[in-house]
Amino acid sequence: MDVKNIKFDPESHIIELAKQRPEGISNKDLKENMPQLDLPELTGVINKLLKGGVLELFKSNEELLYKYKDPSKKTTAKGSDNEEKVVYRIIEEAGNKGIWIRDIRFKSNLNMTQLNKVLKSLEIKKFIKAVKSVTASKKKVYMLFDLEPDSSVTGGAWYQDQDFESEFVDVLSQQCHRYLVERLDDAKKQGGSPVMVRNRSYATAAEVHKFIQDLGISKISLSVSDIESILYTVVLDNNAERTTAANGTFLYKATHNFIFPPGLVKTCCGTCLVANKCAHTGSVNPTSCTYLTDWLSGS
Amino acid sequence: MSVVYGKIVSLIIMERFGLVLAKVASFLFKTPDSPLLFIKRGTELPLSKIKESLCILIKHGLVTFRPNKNENLANYSLDSNKVLLMLRYPKYLNFVKKQFGDESEIIIEEVLLRGYLPASELILKVYDRMSKNCNKPPSLSIIKDKLVYLITSKYLKRIPSAENKPVPNLVQNETMMHVLPPIELKTLITYQNDQRTVLPDKNIYWTVNFERFHQDMRDKIVVAAFERKFDEHAAEIIKLFLRQMYVRTEPWSDISNPIPAMEVKDILKRQANSSVALAFFDQYLTVMEQDNSRLLRKAGEASGGSYQIHLKETFTQLVWNLIEQVILEKHDTKAARIFRLVKLKPYIEPDRIQQLAMIPAKDAKKLSYQLYEENFFRIQELRKTPTVSGPVKNFTLFHIELDNVVRMLLEMCYKTLFNHITRRNHERELNTRIIDKKQRVDTILMGMKSQGATPEQIADIEELITPPERVVLDNIDKIMKKLNTVELEVDDTIFMLFIKDCDEYATQRTSSR
Ligand code: SF4
Repeated sequence: MDVKNIKFDPESHIIELAKQRPEGISNKDLKENMPQLDLPELTGVINKLLKGGVLELFKSNEELLYKYKDPSKKTTAKGSDNEEKVVYRIIEEAGNKGIWIRDIRFKSNLNMTQLNKVLKSLEIKKFIKAVKSVTASKKKVYMLFDLEPDSSVTGGAWYQDQDFESEFVDVLSQQCHRYLVERLDDAKKQGGSPVMVRNRSYATAAEVHKFIQDLGISKISLSVSDIESILYTVVLDNNAERTTAANGTFLYKATHNFIFPPGLVKTCCGTCLVANKCAHTGSVNPTSCTYLTDWLSGS
Repeated sequence: MSVVYGKIVSLIIMERFGLVLAKVASFLFKTPDSPLLFIKRGTELPLSKIKESLCILIKHGLVTFRPNKNENLANYSLDSNKVLLMLRYPKYLNFVKKQFGDESEIIIEEVLLRGYLPASELILKVYDRMSKNCNKPPSLSIIKDKLVYLITSKYLKRIPSAENKPVPNLVQNETMMHVLPPIELKTLITYQNDQRTVLPDKNIYWTVNFERFHQDMRDKIVVAAFERKFDEHAAEIIKLFLRQMYVRTEPWSDISNPIPAMEVKDILKRQANSSVALAFFDQYLTVMEQDNSRLLRKAGEASGGSYQIHLKETFTQLVWNLIEQVILEKHDTKAARIFRLVKLKPYIEPDRIQQLAMIPAKDAKKLSYQLYEENFFRIQELRKTPTVSGPVKNFTLFHIELDNVVRMLLEMCYKTLFNHITRRNHERELNTRIIDKKQRVDTILMGMKSQGATPEQIADIEELITPPERVVLDNIDKIMKKLNTVELEVDDTIFMLFIKDCDEYATQRTSSR
């Protein structure tokens, strides 16, 4: 080994040196072996090697040791590319519906710790992302980073970060109902025969959709089928009825209940939530019941 | 029958007839079909008292009897449904008053008070009462006409005549039920002057035919429902359909016979104020027929089409509606929504509930279980056969059993009634002293007024009740009024729940005869 050679390539020299001494080389050894390198230069080289994963840093007896890292033993580092590739492919296959970690494990045959590591690194590299599914709050599914998650995962327009936007839905439901009622009132005002009034009061989901769009209450864009599901809640609330038109689409129309609230619920006992604990004797009883007292003294 | 039910039965009897009768009644409620001595042992009352009580109860149709194995003894049972009807009396009276006027109201009231009585006696009683209370009493003949009308339109019926046996079998002669007795005004007038005159119909007794009232109440509900759902003209048409229905069908059948539309139209033509209903008659029929509720259905095309009213179906739908409203008031719209969803799709998966009802998963689950806890829902557990590995999955599917819910709601109504009556009694008890005082003062005032006392004297007496006492009295008055109104309203709910099963209702009627 001549000096020139060393001067040319301090890296390989250090590697050689480290290879010869599997127990590690110290700073002192380096100095002795390469007196021609000044300290800053040496530090630069060592750092580069450490970063590249060729050398590893150890500490023994208050002394820093550099050890050569065997590339054949380095499978985890090197091979992880392959695993990443496999996992990546599995995730890619799942498309925008995503895939659950358990299924990745079955498909990839990796163990949990390994898989977690791979997923983490893929995630850091922004190849994939984890999306919380709305169907099960603790379940995460993975999909490629730039995919828009399917509505079955996000729950569609009604979810914001897998939280159901209840209020948003309620507002929409109210507005849809309002639209139908207005439509019915208009039809009645225009007059005409009962059949005509009825037919005029029917609205399609598309019409309601346009109304909602024009209202501008929704930040996100809603599809007609989104509106269709909102309208179904209005139907379920018995505020509208749904019929099928000749062409197969649904028609909606505001309706009334058959009856007014029954007498039973006009009393406080009829709506009382502790009624099943209420008896003639006992701490909950009609003679001393404060609900009754309040209700009786009310107007 | 439930405990609460028994309790209200005895409370009602207690309120109207006193403690002894209530005791007998509740004994009979618990042990139906008891002979006299049995009642004596159970109630520990003297025999004479029991006999008297039974007499009164039988007279009011609250207790029925039938021969024991030993034909000389009778077994007594309480007709608890009839007892509950007593809560409805104000409603019957109100109805008659509105429909047929004051005389008719007093006629019915007298009959209700006495249980049953002969026609001539009834006429005289009403006459007496009315001449005492108003300055221009109606003539006997007017009262008679009113009575005759009530009998022919079946609001009153003849009570069955008894065979001559130790324990008589009551035989109802259906044809005679609403046949008029011979009433001569002349005899009545002679009787007024000479009480010894024999009235010709003294053995023909009349009593109130509740069923007829119920039929009217039912029709009113149906018509009101149509009015709310469609409009007043549609309701008008339905009213006529119902009326025509009785021409052909038993009033309480599930489905009416086909009614020709032309017939109804003809009646409409004769009515002055139904031009809209008439002008769009066919269209109204189309709209009602095509409605999702399908209460009016076309039965045939002949002669302008004929239609059937599906009464049972109507009431089933009304009851569904009622249940939904109860849930709506008791919980909120979300719970009602889930209820309707489960009604439309029984055994729906919980996941689908939250999806279709658009309610957050957690709330949906909470509400469903709440409804289950309150007996609106029933649960069906489904166990997915465990695969080799993986957790066992359980599905909990909800569904509704209507009859069950109805029973539960009835129970709720009874309980509410019980609570209210208890509370009313309690309030009254708390303030007995003041109430008594007020009554005493009132009697004194009455006496003084009839003796022509001066205004100052009257004012003096009136001042016996101090201002604070007056406040208390006013307050009690308000409370009583409120409790009374609500009682009547709860009874409306009971009525609705009851007539859902027209046929069941009919059997109940026959048993109560
Ligand atoms: S008395 Fe009071 S506690 Fe009892 S059911 Fe009525 S409101 Fe509820």
